[in-house]
Amino acid sequence: MTKRGSNFTIAMAILIVWSLLPILWFVRMSFMNHAEITQFPPHIIPESFNLSSFANIFGFNYKLGDGSISSASGQAGQIVRGLQNSVIVSVVVTLITIVIVVPLAYVFSRLDFRFKNLLLNCVLLAVAIPPVSTLIPFYTMYVQLGLVGTLPGLIIIDLTTTVPFVTWMLIGYFRNLPPIERLARIDGFSRLHTLLFLILPLARSGVAVAAIIAFLFAWNEFTFALVLVNGTPATTLPAAISGFLGQDPNPSQLAACILITIIPPALVAFFLQRHLGEMNLADPVR
Amino acid sequence: MAKIELRQIRKTYDRYVAVESLDLEIVDGEFLVMLGPSGCGKTTTLNMIAGLDYPSQGQILFDGRDVTAEPPHGRNVAMVFQSSLLYPHLTVRRNIEASLRHTNLSKAERAQRIADAARMLELDAMLDKLPSQMSGGQRQRAATAKAIVREPACFLLDEPLSALDAALRLSLRSELVNLQKRLGTTAVFVTHDQVEAMTMGDRIAVMSRGNLEQIGTPDEIYNQPASLFVATFLGSPPMNIIAGEVETGMFNAGRVAIDLAGRALPNGPASLGVRPQHVTVTPADAPGAIPVTVYALEHLGRESVIIADDGTGNKLRALVDPGFHARIGDRLGIIPSAASCFFFAPDGKRIP
Repeated sequence: MTKRGSNFTIAMAILIVWSLLPILWFVRMSFMNHAEITQFPPHIIPESFNLSSFANIFGFNYKLGDGSISSASGQAGQIVRGLQNSVIVSVVVTLITIVIVVPLAYVFSRLDFRFKNLLLNCVLLAVAIPPVSTLIPFYTMYVQLGLVGTLPGLIIIDLTTTVPFVTWMLIGYFRNLPPIERLARIDGFSRLHTLLFLILPLARSGVAVAAIIAFLFAWNEFTFALVLVNGTPATTLPAAISGFLGQDPNPSQLAACILITIIPPALVAFFLQRHLGEMNLADPVR
Repeated sequence: MAKIELRQIRKTYDRYVAVESLDLEIVDGEFLVMLGPSGCGKTTTLNMIAGLDYPSQGQILFDGRDVTAEPPHGRNVAMVFQSSLLYPHLTVRRNIEASLRHTNLSKAERAQRIADAARMLELDAMLDKLPSQMSGGQRQRAATAKAIVREPACFLLDEPLSALDAALRLSLRSELVNLQKRLGTTAVFVTHDQVEAMTMGDRIAVMSRGNLEQIGTPDEIYNQPASLFVATFLGSPPMNIIAGEVETGMFNAGRVAIDLAGRALPNGPASLGVRPQHVTVTPADAPGAIPVTVYALEHLGRESVIIADDGTGNKLRALVDPGFHARIGDRLGIIPSAASCFFFAPDGKRIP
């Protein structure tokens, strides 16, 4: 193997270890019990491969191999609700984002109209604003509106970040599509028909990426969730997990939670992946 | 089949004037070429004829019917674009079908038309392929089939051959003209290539910076150019332009003295235009010759072109026999043939 080849292998190895090691670490942690985790040097493969943590975080007592009962986590209620709410919030945010942003980005990318530049700059400015900086103003507003601790409140805040960002991304993407509209106008298709049946089939990969981005953002959103819904029935998973950090620490249950948290986005990305295949950004007819 | 009239068409984008006041009449069944450099307004005009863009002022009439505000489909035009635009996710057959979607034809009629169009453009083997599976020439043929299947009032072609390689361009050139003549449909063809314009058009409309410079048959445009722009734009190699002075019925430029033969040019600065095939190459000190230094020599097989510098930074061209030999830096003389000279006033207009 050439020197370059072995350098590449080393780089790849480092990259893989760097990315996977933390995940593998707590995957392993989630299957262990208390005693094992505190062992040093740490075992690579847990000796007692038990599912007690998983059962506990969902609120079940689990009978361990040696007869003792591993009791349900006090956080269990939050976790279950957190999972439900996260799914709801993420799906709703993704759907609303896509429904709003696809026509919006399309119009910005293809048409010219009065105030276009002004509106475009507003959207782009919204992308530039760090989400956290709007935290306090939003909270104050929400207290007055009674939206603190509600799912709709959280959804709205998530949308204020996903909509501008995804719009910005899709505008660039739509600009690169071939100018089919002219052809469609001459053939007599309405603008709506053109968007739905002629442009969207071409834009599948862009829309898929947009959906993944929106979903991931909503799912992982921590700061707003922590401030707005933590401890309430409207809590989401990231916020609920933070509850593990204060109490009687139980790392294996924390690890189990984290694992649960990773699974849905991974599934979403996995299923939408086939649309990412040909990011046909270049003109396909050239 | 339609006669198209453009009356006083003007198109502005904010303060940029793309098309000044344009009056154009396109005869039914003719192949009209709109020729001009980039930015002259020819594509804008084509888009206005199509209905993809609306004029800021003026009227467009199809067979006497005012269609200025009508969207493209109602005008029954078909358009072929430079980038051989097709719906990328549809097969050729579905692409061609899409043109007929909004017409009132029965299924059988549609199938018949599609089959006819495919046969005419030799696409039968490719009807079920996707655009990405075809070559550039095949795609352009498919786009053309898409256009003819509607039996439109008019074909509009926006530089359809520019993106193709040279050999393909040549063959498609004659195919397109042949097709148009067989179908008898009015066609408006936009190009910046003057060879295409000369070989394809029944008439050529030469445009520059939003203005119509001249409209006429290729013969008229070539032999009776209305302005300096038209004279230098058409013809390959381009016409030689020599600046000089008019005095008492004679044009003088250095040793060149040509009788104006009664042309109504006022005394003062003027330009002389003469095509490379109408000059003679002589030794540098011949009487009445412009002394030049050879800059380059291009061999075209059938003839050769000498490109020479006349000392003022102006390059003059002369067509010579293929056996002519000269080296870069040689001093030669160029004598314009008095009978084939054009004279232009300082404002660019030709004085006949």
